[in-house]
Amino acid sequence: MVWMRRLLLGAVLSVGPGLPGLVAAQDELASRACHLDGWSDALRCFRVAVGADDSELAVMVAPAVNDSEREPLYLLAGGPGQAASDLAPLLNAFRKINRERDIVMVDRRGAGLSGAFRCGFEREMPADLQQFSRRLADCYLQRPDFAESLSSRQTVEDLERVRMFLGHGRIALWGGSWGTRTALLYQQWYPESLSALVLDAVAPIDTKVFLTATAAERALQQLERDCARDPVCARFGDWKGQLAKMLNGWSAEQAASFPDPLTGGPVTEPLARWVLANAIRGALYDPVAAAQIPYAVHQAGRGNYLPLSGITGLFQNHADSMAMGLTFSVACAEELNRIGADEVAADSEGSFLGSAFFDLFRSGCEAWPVSSKPYAAPAPREHPVLLISGSADPITPPYYAEQQLGYLSHRQHLVVAGGGHINSRRGCIPELISRFLEMPGEPLEQACVADIHRPPFMADAFGPALGVSAVSVERGDQL
Amino acid sequence: MAMDRIISLQMSALLRKEMLETWRDRRALWMAICFSLLIPVMLAGTMVIVVKKQTEESTRLVLLGGDVAPLLEQRLRSDSLEVEALAEGEPRALLAGGYDLVLQLEEGFVDRYESFRAPKMYLYVDSSSTSAGRAERHLQERLGKLQQLVVSQRLTARGVAPQLLAPWQLQVRDVSTPSSRGALLLAMVPGLLILTLFVASLATSVDTSAGERERLSLEALLMQPVPGWQLVAAKMLAVASMGWLGSLLAIAALVALMPVMPLAELGIQQATTASGVITMGLLLLPLALLVAVVQILLALRSSSFKDAQTQLSILQIAPVMLLMVLDAARVDLADSYWQLVPLVAQQQWLKSLLVGDSVSLPLLLAGSMVCLLLVALSVAFGARALRRESLLGAT
Repeated sequence: MVWMRRLLLGAVLSVGPGLPGLVAAQDELASRACHLDGWSDALRCFRVAVGADDSELAVMVAPAVNDSEREPLYLLAGGPGQAASDLAPLLNAFRKINRERDIVMVDRRGAGLSGAFRCGFEREMPADLQQFSRRLADCYLQRPDFAESLSSRQTVEDLERVRMFLGHGRIALWGGSWGTRTALLYQQWYPESLSALVLDAVAPIDTKVFLTATAAERALQQLERDCARDPVCARFGDWKGQLAKMLNGWSAEQAASFPDPLTGGPVTEPLARWVLANAIRGALYDPVAAAQIPYAVHQAGRGNYLPLSGITGLFQNHADSMAMGLTFSVACAEELNRIGADEVAADSEGSFLGSAFFDLFRSGCEAWPVSSKPYAAPAPREHPVLLISGSADPITPPYYAEQQLGYLSHRQHLVVAGGGHINSRRGCIPELISRFLEMPGEPLEQACVADIHRPPFMADAFGPALGVSAVSVERGDQL
Repeated sequence: MAMDRIISLQMSALLRKEMLETWRDRRALWMAICFSLLIPVMLAGTMVIVVKKQTEESTRLVLLGGDVAPLLEQRLRSDSLEVEALAEGEPRALLAGGYDLVLQLEEGFVDRYESFRAPKMYLYVDSSSTSAGRAERHLQERLGKLQQLVVSQRLTARGVAPQLLAPWQLQVRDVSTPSSRGALLLAMVPGLLILTLFVASLATSVDTSAGERERLSLEALLMQPVPGWQLVAAKMLAVASMGWLGSLLAIAALVALMPVMPLAELGIQQATTASGVITMGLLLLPLALLVAVVQILLALRSSSFKDAQTQLSILQIAPVMLLMVLDAARVDLADSYWQLVPLVAQQQWLKSLLVGDSVSLPLLLAGSMVCLLLVALSVAFGARALRRESLLGAT
């Protein structure tokens, strides 16, 4: 009986602008059951041919529990260089949305399961910038045309092709980090295909998001303020000053004797100053890690580098999710191309990070000579847009969303106090996203966002302070 | 030609009489209707209540001695767990006074925690209370998260990457589909629909057989120049109409209530299709006939009205129990030859259609033919039995 219904449904849908027969066929032919890490239910996987050169996109669909024909939600990953298939754990938070809507993940060309362009950096990243550039240059020379072809434009075109392939009408997009840029560009180029946007950690089209030093500095300042307000953390005093001192005076000896968080011995390669500064910046992405910075810096000031090493260990696994070739193709052509030296200087001025993050990309882009691919100025759009920011996000702070998105007339903004980079999984945010998608035009009741707090600060070697104790009061005097 | 007309005239007169008697019996009709609605309503009701309890109703915890550990109190609190910190109290009295759990912190808890002496927490729980299990799950979940946070901070403080605690990653890959998950939850429903069929036709079948015999109207009926098979067939059709109506009503109620049931929350697709519902109704028709004729034959065999009622009550429970036992014993009933066995076949088809799976049309027809064949045999058997004098002798 079901096959009869499918046949009927297929016939009805194919009357539309789609390709006749394809809609009915994709159910039976092209998809197979598959799984992604971080989500236990089966997904439907497709390979969609794109472009002239046999390229195929990996498309993964988490089918709606109920087939209610509401517009599907596409997830767009960050980076650039991350794969949507790595976002599968997000499905746990989006379970409610998935009840009524298909959730679609498309790995863009050069990422994840669509032929990841990794340049062999999946295991380790050399700490030496020159060595890094040299390896990058070798990688570029192996596939210069491919490197040149990767761009946001191509990704958006591919996404549109996938939308038609799946027979979807209008679609909603969730973008995270760089994925928000892709989503905003899709909105510019295919406004007719779009119903609503959910943008978490927004990188507006006009914002030079690779200038991160000021944003990171502000996130650190906010951490300092929140720490000063916390009776336990306040005891660490001027830890931020200590951090500046440590970074400024980082010596070869300190770099060589820094403990390795995985082996317990000293690091095999000296920990360069720029790597350390980036590790602090990286810790600010995640409030759980950020809550450990004051204690770790305080300890480092007394010669104990173990906690600081532990923080760098929190991110050891992250490098392999980024396809470096893709990252540089897009970043060099669409971001680094429009950033001048004076802007870098202005951004780095007075920040703990300086140009430590930017230098990595600048030297990388010198080895990656793709042509500049500038965007046109964004045109006004009326789609409902939900913006989500963490107030202490070190790379896409809330003021990006507030200052650069005036051309979106129907936007609302959720700001998570003390939140880091990406907040879609926290507290009531999944519920709010679900409500927004149900009624995109209605203003959301945002009160519950205030219930999302920073995790407890690390108080001492025992972890967070559960309460006030005789022991901690005693120790407090020593600090 | 004329003969045929007489037969059909007689038959239709008979059928009219039986139908009239069946449908005039308000009590039997109401019983059929009520029972048919009862099962879907109960099913939907339980499901709604269970899910509501699981997702919405919060449980209450007292944190005894928690006044010294505000972070613990704050971190345990969630939408599903209300936490109240008290300096003192008697756990038993608190549990009796409406709290689901009491978590008592050892004396000097915070000091021991800060000096790594693993302080104890005592969890008082009344495991005979219905909400205790749920409350304990809520607590374990929150406590587990906090514990993870503490352990992670302790490791970081010692310069250890937390992933050292996870030597490997276990990724679960669930191969079930929404419809197979539905089959698990809705497994009882086909059996209950079939039970409805039995119950709805019970009163009528007793009345039209043993009842007529006791009212002595059966004798009068037998004296008419009507072939026995027509008599049995007319009674069967009348009884089956009632049983079938009951099961149709149950199906309709079930489908109507499906939007109310929180199926999606349970990860189950609401996949019953319109054509599926029609098929469900149609496939129960042969079974309704079979049940009716078997009930009539059994009632005629019985020694009295009361005896008939007893026998049929057993008959209505037995097959349903059998189906459930077969299901529970995980006998693989999906094989094609099982689909030729009445009851089992209908149960399997209903099960598939409920979760939106398709049913093989040839097998459905073949299975229904087998069922109808049994109906014909039973009618023939009944006709022969009616010729026996002893049948009327029973009182």
